[in-house]
Amino acid sequence: MKFLCIPCDEQMETQMDGIMPTENKNLVMKFKCKKCGHMIAMLTNQFETEFVSKIGVELGGASNVGSRPLSMVGSQLSQAKKELDKGKAEDNLVWTEEAQLRIKKVPFFVRNMAKKTIINFALEKGVTLIDAKLMDEVREKVGM
Amino acid sequence: MKTYEDLAGDGGSNIISQVVSQREKLSARLAKIKHKVALMSGKGGVGKSSITANIAACLVDQGYSVGILDADLNGPCIGNLLGVGCEQKLVIDDDGIDPGEGALGIKIMSMDMLLLSPDAPVMWTDDAEATSTWVSTMESTALRELLADTNWGELDYLLIDMPPGSDRMDNIRDLIPELAGVVEITIPSQLSQYIVSKSITKNNRMGVPIIGLIENMATYVCPHCNQEGKLFEGQDAEKLSSQKGINYIGKIPFDTRISRKTDSGSLFYTENKDSVTGKAIASVVDAIIKFIEDKSN
Ligand SMILES: Nc1ncnc2c1ncn2[C@@H]1O[C@H](COP(=O)(O)OP(=O)(O)O)[C@@H](O)[C@H]1O
Ligand SMILES: [Mg+2]
Ligand SMILES: [Zn+2]
Repeated sequence: MKFLCIPCDEQMETQMDGIMPTENKNLVMKFKCKKCGHMIAMLTNQFETEFVSKIGVELGGASNVGSRPLSMVGSQLSQAKKELDKGKAEDNLVWTEEAQLRIKKVPFFVRNMAKKTIINFALEKGVTLIDAKLMDEVREKVGM
Repeated sequence: MKTYEDLAGDGGSNIISQVVSQREKLSARLAKIKHKVALMSGKGGVGKSSITANIAACLVDQGYSVGILDADLNGPCIGNLLGVGCEQKLVIDDDGIDPGEGALGIKIMSMDMLLLSPDAPVMWTDDAEATSTWVSTMESTALRELLADTNWGELDYLLIDMPPGSDRMDNIRDLIPELAGVVEITIPSQLSQYIVSKSITKNNRMGVPIIGLIENMATYVCPHCNQEGKLFEGQDAEKLSSQKGINYIGKIPFDTRISRKTDSGSLFYTENKDSVTGKAIASVVDAIIKFIEDKSN
């Protein structure tokens, strides 16, 4: 799927900050024309989101986390051994247990983007603790 | 207005190149494995895992290096037979995860190794409302990761212990286009043969080569006189094979020792080669090797 800005005849780019799925797996993806700045949002429901997930790739581009061995199994399997899910240690931010649970509910193929959105928001705000309240704020900010 | 082809990439996700690099990783890994063989059955409980383990033991005995992928994600059990389970320490580096080393040096990758505790179920979300599409997506991605991210190294044979039924065969065929073939396992019951016959038809339609049909628990061996007798009458798997135009590659007797580890931690075949059951396993293995040799000539 590609998006074209008709007035500019330019390809629109995925906006990292736009990715913030709700817990029921509805998804908002934003696209921006870098020429005129016009933005659109693509809204999908759970089933459409799952359709996108079929190919097992990460929207927004493969992250380092995504290229780890067994990255999907490690991040998605409910009672996986700890060694499998090391992606979390990427920064000094502390995630509360509730926040960790909530991020686990995000479909894996957009989870890293959702994480980045939250991390960027926390860093901008200068906080080191990521809790459910902060996640709500992020969701409000990206317009959900 | 620009067309699809005029636009480079796909808005930053590079889905195509991600898929290509997934594929490349998988084929690089599989290129080091000479032959891949899937073992299937229509029904569960017909002895697929027990036979897979003993076929592996027999291949090792003939000097081949062997790995087993436990593709029965929800009912992993072959690790148990080979002595590799949840207690296995995971060794992971950038290149992949090391397989467990089971009895006789057989390499194994199984969901059991990845779970926190032996009784942990395989669940892909804690969300009770997970749809079956979601679970099925997770399972096919998991199969790809288990195949592509395991440091199998150089192997002569990779045996794939499939889940019961034929649903996952589509995945395996996509992931391993060079699959040498499928071994179908049935027991002499009408129900089992009815289902295995569907699985054979499906594989034929999909163009998956069928190495042959094994009939497990076909006979019993009298412990006193070592004579074989029939367990069931009139359910002829040999007839089923000829109807379906596939090879009948052997009968394995009912033998409760087959799925037990021996006292020395080895597998049944290795210590009972000369028993009736041991010989039956060896003749199945010969048929598999012959099929693969004939195919490559
Ligand atoms: N040839 C055989 N003789 C006696 N018992 C067998 C034989 N093959 C399998 N079994 C037993 O049948 C049960 C199911 O076997 P298993 O290998 O787990 O089947 P599957 O993998 O098809 O579900 C096990 O308890 C196993 O010990
Ligand atoms: Mg089994
Ligand atoms: Zn524009």
